[in-house]
Amino acid sequence: MKTKLTEMAPWLAYFVIFVSMIFAGSDHSIHVASQIIILGLFAIAFNVLFGTTGLLSFGQAIFYGLGAYITGMMAKSFGADFFLWALLIAPVAALALSAVLGVLSLRLSEVYFTMLTLAFAQLAWGICVKWSSFTGGDDGIQAIPKPDILNMGGRNYYIFALVIVSICIYLLWRLDRSPFGSVLKGIRQNPIRISFIGLNVFRHKLFAYMISSSFTAIAGGLYAGIDKSIHPDMLVWTMSGSIILMTILGGMRSFFGPLIGVAVFILLEDVIGRSTEYWSFVIGIIMITVVLLFPKGIVGVSRHFAGLFAKKGGQFDNP
Amino acid sequence: MTTLELRNVNKHFGGLHVSRNISMGIEQGELTAIIGPNGAGKTTLFNQITGYIAPDNGNIFFDGLDITGKDPEILVKMGIVRAFQVASLFIDETVYDNLYLAALAYHGKNGNFFTNRRVYKDVAEHCHFILEKLGLSGKEKLKAFELSHGDQKVLDIAIALTMKPKLLLLDEPTAGMSPDERVKMTHMIRNIHEEFKLTTVFVEHDMDMVFGIADIIRVLVHGELIAEGNAEEIQKNPAVIDAYLGHEVL
Repeated sequence: MKTKLTEMAPWLAYFVIFVSMIFAGSDHSIHVASQIIILGLFAIAFNVLFGTTGLLSFGQAIFYGLGAYITGMMAKSFGADFFLWALLIAPVAALALSAVLGVLSLRLSEVYFTMLTLAFAQLAWGICVKWSSFTGGDDGIQAIPKPDILNMGGRNYYIFALVIVSICIYLLWRLDRSPFGSVLKGIRQNPIRISFIGLNVFRHKLFAYMISSSFTAIAGGLYAGIDKSIHPDMLVWTMSGSIILMTILGGMRSFFGPLIGVAVFILLEDVIGRSTEYWSFVIGIIMITVVLLFPKGIVGVSRHFAGLFAKKGGQFDNP
Repeated sequence: MTTLELRNVNKHFGGLHVSRNISMGIEQGELTAIIGPNGAGKTTLFNQITGYIAPDNGNIFFDGLDITGKDPEILVKMGIVRAFQVASLFIDETVYDNLYLAALAYHGKNGNFFTNRRVYKDVAEHCHFILEKLGLSGKEKLKAFELSHGDQKVLDIAIALTMKPKLLLLDEPTAGMSPDERVKMTHMIRNIHEEFKLTTVFVEHDMDMVFGIADIIRVLVHGELIAEGNAEEIQKNPAVIDAYLGHEVL
């Protein structure tokens, strides 16, 4: 089956924008772009649960933090060479942790699932803050070493992160249009029907949760390399909340929507933050406007306007 | 050969006894109607046969195997498939994708997370076959929510047929339909029953349809099976007339 142009267009835009950053960007913009792709991976992985499967986890920061702390602590204790190993170990650890948490929480429905994921994440944050001899407590971990080649300015690390993030996003994109992805969308729309076409809802939810969580841990591990420092705020509930907000802002019914939401959010924060100290107020108003007027997010709005000009007929996902 | 056998099945909801010691044997190839007043426990009986809820006690056998308390997904794989009173669809997806998802599940592709879901030729053929058989060709690109009520019920049955059932259970297939649609649905059920060599059980309030196509009719009142037999026997049965049909029907 040949891939359609409309499916490839977002990828083209993705590579044009993020690859051009390598050559065009100042140190500051490279730093911002690094944050965008890493949080973008977090948001896209989160959306496998939220937009695709219909599971609102309010605690994905636990896996983001797990990835960051595994990477930070391993590199700090065993040396720079372990930075890369840690990036491999982080998703495996997240897989194991999410299997346990998933079994405990996914049997609950809707709001109870959401609350339990929040509780687990807050518990992990509490441990992180209090157990300062192991985790560095409130201060987190600073001066995380990484291999020399990734150390020369932000640019090399950005290229490294872009490669890993792109591979991860590609895998998640394949998942989105795979049979497994279809089942997840079916679970969102009608879980009872899923069991009456012979599929186990719980098992598919659990795999989705584990996959999402392990990619989140990779994002967390990559983040440890940007500023060479991590802190318990990566696990706190506002981290999970920001990802939810950014995903809604971008559009949870679109694969790249969460990435767009992250980019817009971080750019706004960067631009508005330079001119006023009340930047969070401005962003809040923008968020409220988008959610009230455009519940399908930025992607939803642009699809709507594109639809007004294009002739009728679904441009997305025809059989 | 008995396809479905119920032995002394009981179910309570709190103080309400919704299935009272129900025993019945449904033969292979039989087209059975289950009738009875609202609240007689017809849907509850379906829910027990299809594994959505388990009976309090008693046993259910399918092809001689005890299936009591097994989960719906296991029973579907064994060949027990149902359609719902209120069409149960993937409402944001197209008609084609509704069937495609069911066919992916049937062909065991559901765990594949790397392949483009469109590549499976056998799955696509399977869907087109079902679309054609149920007269949904031409509507495959419509979203499920855009369909008329009648077509939604047809799609619901189409999803069930995609699972290649041996035993098909239809919960009020004509509920909420116009008289025209009812006639079409009645013919369709008879046709698919014969063409797919099914054992079919349906719950229905439309007596024309029941007496028109059912081989055997079983009557539930207050959770109890009070009569079973062919159309003539049921129409003459005084207990059934008293409890459900009423005297004016005759």
